[in-house]
Amino acid sequence: MNLVRTWRIMQKELRMGPRSPIFLYAVLLPIVLTFIINGVFGSLFEPTPRLGIVDEGDSAIVAEAKQLDGIHVTEPPDATTLRKMVESNDLDAGLVLQPGFDGAVRNGQMPVLQFYVGGESLASNRIILSVAAVDMVRQVAGEPAPVTVDVVTIGDPEALPIASRLLPMLMIYAVFVAGAFVPASSVVEEKEKGTISALLVSPATVYEFLAAKVGVGVVLATLTGVVTLALNNALGGHAVALVLVLLTASVMMAEIGVMLGSWAKDLNTLFATVKGGAILIFYPVIFYIWPSLPQWIPKLSPTYYFLQPIFEIGIRDASLGDVWGEVVVALATVVVLVPFVLIMARRLQRKVAVGV
Amino acid sequence: MTAIRSRAGIVAAIVRKDFTAFSRNWFFLVISIIGLVFFALTFWLMPNTVDETVTVGVSGPGIGEALTSSGESQGIDLKLYPSQDALTTAVENGSDGVAVGLAFPPDFLQTMAAGQQTTVDVLVTAGVPVELRDAMDSIVREIAYAASGETLPVIQLAQNEYVLGVDRSGDQVSLREKMRPLLAFMVLVIEMMSLAALVAAEIQQRTVTAIVTTPARVADFLTAKVIVGTLLAFVQAVILLVAIRSLGANAPLMLTILLLGALMVTAFALIAGSYGRDFITVVFWSILFLVPLIIPGFAVLFPGSASSWVKVIPSYGLINAIVGATSYGEGWSDVLPDLAMVAGWTVVAYVVGLSILRRKVEAL
Repeated sequence: MNLVRTWRIMQKELRMGPRSPIFLYAVLLPIVLTFIINGVFGSLFEPTPRLGIVDEGDSAIVAEAKQLDGIHVTEPPDATTLRKMVESNDLDAGLVLQPGFDGAVRNGQMPVLQFYVGGESLASNRIILSVAAVDMVRQVAGEPAPVTVDVVTIGDPEALPIASRLLPMLMIYAVFVAGAFVPASSVVEEKEKGTISALLVSPATVYEFLAAKVGVGVVLATLTGVVTLALNNALGGHAVALVLVLLTASVMMAEIGVMLGSWAKDLNTLFATVKGGAILIFYPVIFYIWPSLPQWIPKLSPTYYFLQPIFEIGIRDASLGDVWGEVVVALATVVVLVPFVLIMARRLQRKVAVGV
Repeated sequence: MTAIRSRAGIVAAIVRKDFTAFSRNWFFLVISIIGLVFFALTFWLMPNTVDETVTVGVSGPGIGEALTSSGESQGIDLKLYPSQDALTTAVENGSDGVAVGLAFPPDFLQTMAAGQQTTVDVLVTAGVPVELRDAMDSIVREIAYAASGETLPVIQLAQNEYVLGVDRSGDQVSLREKMRPLLAFMVLVIEMMSLAALVAAEIQQRTVTAIVTTPARVADFLTAKVIVGTLLAFVQAVILLVAIRSLGANAPLMLTILLLGALMVTAFALIAGSYGRDFITVVFWSILFLVPLIIPGFAVLFPGSASSWVKVIPSYGLINAIVGATSYGEGWSDVLPDLAMVAGWTVVAYVVGLSILRRKVEAL
């Protein structure tokens, strides 16, 4: 197989690809779905509560605030800037600690707590930030709390918000449409228009032709996958691990795509097959949405073995080492599919040769 | 007078030809129609309200009243339950929208008054954000301090002092409202691609040469292109705003904003079309303009003011004017600086676009 020829076919594909509505659909679908799902179920545009602190003295509250989980803390240069930022909704709330604040609190001098909230901040953020501020003041005062608070997690300890549980659905759309459907429809279109015959009378082989289609699928699926993860705040601290898993997923989908494309005699057959058979690819996502369902069932689908690592790394902050078992199965699936792709390639060559 | 009428007739003829060409370009026609339907659907699918309260279930006698009187209930929707078991079930099932449960022991208030220690359970499901858990933890401690007679070691500001800016609590701008300028602008920029493709086709197929060998001049050709582009973008943006009921109380202002926006994107379309050799290069050049132009539309979706670099993007004034007119009820005087900015950028874009296109046409 000549890599230069493969690269040239791939370049042609990338150049001509955007003309196809399917290409456009593959790129836009995950983005559109993310917007809709996060708009309806999630908080795509509602970041964590934002607190600004200006310390005019040497208060211990600043260090305390920086330790707060789930609250974004910034330190504007002065009180005037802080108030401006709060007013223009660049911060949800702001705290100005005047010189000698901590000492005044400890000595019972009752200093004024200069705590400001923005008019446009959400009421829920206001309460979170105001009780956080009061709590920090209490700690400075050193008064022991008259109560012990136990935070008890009830129900499924692994439960996640619905927007997070829908991530596998977005990911499977992203990698399947871009990774499998785009190459499949491209192969079928080439057969229908007869351009594949023209290509195969050139020095290019059917293997190079299909390798180029796989390449396009992998590039497109990886890119849409990364964009989807980023839009869903799931790229997290293990971006490299996620990209590696995505690459594996993209290759698997592209292999399935070129096999489908080589087999389907026209676009109608391809669409009908995808409509009927995609359930085998897609069904694991149901088990993320309803985790109470038996969890052995999704393991029967090859897509589970990349969806699960993506879910664990992207949502539960796992590392590649935590999901190596699934990744190995996904990689093995990629390898196992290679002989089948070669068989389909030979079949495609025979069909093209006899003009079927 | 006759000369002007004849020029107008020539321009009108070119405009008619362009509309026919547009209706024959199935890709842009389909994209335009699908785009309009899709944008309208997206708007109506977005939530119309902002849920800014946390529903908290409480069990324990007298606690609901204590919470309300302590002033810690702003942003909290309290639901009272007769027992901890009932509260646990509600939190587990999410019934009544309860996200967190505060299970106080039945003798909590008496224990606090007696200065004794006790334990309160904060019931959460795994999906509850950490900042909310911590907030509930703090609220429970504040109730305990209040019940044991310990006041805050600081003086808090009065509400009118500590809320900065217009207090929109309970009247927040919903995601649907925030999407409005982005959707209107998307329609405008999609039409930018259509016009760019029309212009590119005229240059590549050299139909423009044929046109200027008739009594039509280059200026007529350019005028026609500006009219076609502006009309295409403006009419579709108006259709969308009608479909999403966003012309609002000040329709003349909105129409003016859209007209200026249509004029601006047309200018960019002339530049993209001048450089476009084929479909791909037209898309490439259009996207080159589209990506930066769309940034202010996305910036509106996030809280806070836009960065200073976003404010110099030509479309910023347009987006700001739409937001002001539709979400904050601003009038002509409020949005005038934004309109002036859009007009300024439009003039600059036309000077560049028309000169590039004129040079291209004259070089053929």
